[in-house]
Amino acid sequence: MTDATIMYPRKPKRIKGRSIAVLVFLTMAALFFCVPLYVLIVTSFKEMDQIREGAMFSLPTTWTLEPWRFAWFEACSGLNCSGLRAGFWNSVVILVPSLIASIALSIVTGYALALWDVKWAGPFLFLLFLCAFVPFQIIMYPLIRLTVTMGIYGSITAIAFVHSVLAMPILTLIFRNYYKDIPPELIKAAIMDSGSFWRIFVEIILPMSGNILIVVLILQITSIWNDYLIGVTFGGLGTKPMTVHLANMVTVSTGTISYNVNMAAALLTAIPPLVIYFVLGKFFVQGIAAGAIKG
Amino acid sequence: MPSVSFEYIVKRFGAITVLDGLNLAVEDGDFLVLLGPSGCGKTTLLNLLAGLLDVSSGRIMIGDRDVTELDPKDRDLAMVFQSYALYPTKTVEGNLRFGLSARKLPKAEADQRVQWASELLQLTPLMRRKPSELSGGQRQRVAIGRALVKHADVLLFDEPLSNLDAKLRTEMRMEIKKLHETLKPTVVYVTHDQIEAMTLATKIAVMNKGEIQQFGTPDQVYEHPETLFVASFIGSPAMNLINGQFTVTDGGPGVVFADQTRIDLTEYTFASLPRDGDAIAVGMRPEHFVHDPVEALPGHTAFDLTVGMVERTGSDALISLDFADDQLFVRAEPDRAAKTRPGDRVQVHYPTAKLNLFDAKKGRRL
Amino acid sequence: MALRWSRITPQIALAPAVGVTLIAFVGAIGWTIFMSFTRSRRLPEYVIDWDNPFRQFKRLFNDAGWQISLQNLIVLAIGSALAIVVGFILAAMIERERRGEDAFRTVFLYPLAVSLIVTGVAWRWILNPQFGIESVLRDFGWESASFNWLSDPATAMYAIIIASIWQSSGFYMALMLAGLKGINTEIWSAARIDGVSLWRVYLEIIIPMMKFTFLTCAILLSLGVIKAFDIVLAMTNGGPGQSTWVPAYYTINAMSAKGNLGLASAAAVLMLLITLVVFLPLVALTAWQQRLARKGDTA
Repeated sequence: MTDATIMYPRKPKRIKGRSIAVLVFLTMAALFFCVPLYVLIVTSFKEMDQIREGAMFSLPTTWTLEPWRFAWFEACSGLNCSGLRAGFWNSVVILVPSLIASIALSIVTGYALALWDVKWAGPFLFLLFLCAFVPFQIIMYPLIRLTVTMGIYGSITAIAFVHSVLAMPILTLIFRNYYKDIPPELIKAAIMDSGSFWRIFVEIILPMSGNILIVVLILQITSIWNDYLIGVTFGGLGTKPMTVHLANMVTVSTGTISYNVNMAAALLTAIPPLVIYFVLGKFFVQGIAAGAIKG
Repeated sequence: MPSVSFEYIVKRFGAITVLDGLNLAVEDGDFLVLLGPSGCGKTTLLNLLAGLLDVSSGRIMIGDRDVTELDPKDRDLAMVFQSYALYPTKTVEGNLRFGLSARKLPKAEADQRVQWASELLQLTPLMRRKPSELSGGQRQRVAIGRALVKHADVLLFDEPLSNLDAKLRTEMRMEIKKLHETLKPTVVYVTHDQIEAMTLATKIAVMNKGEIQQFGTPDQVYEHPETLFVASFIGSPAMNLINGQFTVTDGGPGVVFADQTRIDLTEYTFASLPRDGDAIAVGMRPEHFVHDPVEALPGHTAFDLTVGMVERTGSDALISLDFADDQLFVRAEPDRAAKTRPGDRVQVHYPTAKLNLFDAKKGRRL
Repeated sequence: MALRWSRITPQIALAPAVGVTLIAFVGAIGWTIFMSFTRSRRLPEYVIDWDNPFRQFKRLFNDAGWQISLQNLIVLAIGSALAIVVGFILAAMIERERRGEDAFRTVFLYPLAVSLIVTGVAWRWILNPQFGIESVLRDFGWESASFNWLSDPATAMYAIIIASIWQSSGFYMALMLAGLKGINTEIWSAARIDGVSLWRVYLEIIIPMMKFTFLTCAILLSLGVIKAFDIVLAMTNGGPGQSTWVPAYYTINAMSAKGNLGLASAAAVLMLLITLVVFLPLVALTAWQQRLARKGDTA
């Protein structure tokens, strides 16, 4: 039967009309979704003279990097005219401790709740579930008082602290849901082998957590980097993140508005999370699905 | 009810060729079972017939219609799926009607068909329920009912019983058989379960690796396997297949095993005669052995062997005998088995006419 | 001894989380609720105003800004709900077609990775009356084109809605896509063999099957709308006038601009109540789903 006798060959497959219609529609939708990014990019490379002519969709007649340079080094945010770079570095400095604190706190909590026999785990989980939905406004002022009392208000520490507090319920739930699929026999066996809580965590659980850690890491990096409200509320002079600098920069009402500089500044702010998104898209999708209720 | 034929079917998924020039035809009213291990291409073949997949080349005929290029809905067939694929948001009645609604039947006709199917399959008390409120067997019956109301020319089944427990499976098997006997539709039925195949089919196509190994009635497939694969796949407990060497001596053709035992093959009807010295496999069904004959039986080969193990399986027992560096499994009455201990010597005879000889290299029947 | 420690250590490990929950959530919420019944202005007063405990709430409901905020909340919720519809249509098409799935998904989801402040900058620029879409359309000869939505109180809310649909459709698309992929492929095959039109399959079979997904999307959307602050700030900063205020914006404004802690607390308490109203169905939904799962609904 190995002689591949080709009888009744089929006509070459044609794409069906419905298929074409769907693809055309999807492509148009995709173009629409790309419009804002496209406009940001082309405007950021234009000179103001060309911008004043209108035609926002046209490509730059002369490409210039000046708006980018200006946005980074010289643009004014409030009274401070040293560009976005200060905000950028603030955001980086905020990001690192916020990530470490929020993940450390919630991974241990999730692990303890999922795999150890804690009597009040059920009610506590329900409480965390409720907390995950609470609007920030209702705890904002008390947290301000708390950070003032702790003497950290206005510092990077305060911002990282609030990020960790706010992310704790949802991250704990994510970790707990991930760990609860581990068979409890594994922990029982580990206890029998005289493993302690921390040894089991470090030697068995952490090595199993690679995937979920990446998911949570991406979720946290994007949400901390893109945060505005916590930064503007808890940051002080010189500790405010990039988004706050950007918002101040674009809402300045004095003088002529340099749209190209604004667009460049917006892109500079958007680039880090976009890079993460395009490189690690799959984990990003998992992350937003898991952190959906974080809003 | 029409016949169904596959002509020179080729199916490729990308670079992988699943079916390569397959031919198969059944008469109308036949119950064709496509039998084979998973991945043998049987479900692909069924989906090609249903129109859920397109052939790469070849032609599919239903009756005298060429359906190769037709949409599934225009092929006039009905299908019962492995997961039943009942519409979960519709009631039993809604499920039966939904398929009809696309056919623009007069309402009276549709009512009459739904009522007919519900009575035939004892679904009448369940008509208002949702699929999630039904048991496995009930869901199965709804799925069959949904296929029957369409009065389609050809009924397709894709492993319909594999999600049921053993007892229900036996019951549903009998129901499907009864349905086929009363309604006489042309059926194409895919399964990997040889008992389903043996009990339901009028024709079995045993498939392996995209090829049809044997096509025939259940008896032909069982008693006269055409290939080593069919011999080893069909039958439970499986056929004994012992390797040996074909030899021709003064006494005629025979086979010599590793322990120098020889079986005389003078009375075997060869399809094609192997050459002296060829490696062959000898197949013996466990149930064809005769125990402890009072005298030598004509046309039988006698074995005098040591018992290795005795296994009771309830209504039957299986005795394994040490033979030619291998094991020979022999069916026995439970009473007979109870008297047998490992290490005993026993006498068994095998009818030469019921031997199955295969070319060990090519795997084809001799 | 090992067994004892195995009981105590987890509880010690949980202590920080319990502390955070009790202080930063339970305690803080209680504190804000308490504040809403006091006469606190710039600084907290720790005395409940027994003569008129609901004075802050009364003031709130008499405040035109709060009324606008509530109206806008509803407008925003209804408008943004389009994102669910768009998300479903996109997901259904992607799932049908399969070709280019990854590329389309990447494009539709990228807005989610971008800060809402950036989203605001981009959309304000597009809606800029001098240089934006309006001038482009007028150059094409549509003289009466008017997209100066942001400076008109009647239309500014729609600008916010468009930006938030753009931002969140991809998210709902991802949820819907997951839902669609969870549907047994044999259901599609059965419908094809039955010859039922695609429209009817979606309307009568697929969408009813995805009711949980739709409900989840609706609840997440409502929660998101209640929290909406950044997008309003970035698009209009509440303006023109108070025309695009929403409760989240009102609360922050009462606290920082007005410096009225009691009023802000009352607004925050009402935000919490609205959240609870949305949240309770979610709890019920989760319970319902678990019950269904236990019943062994394999369909």
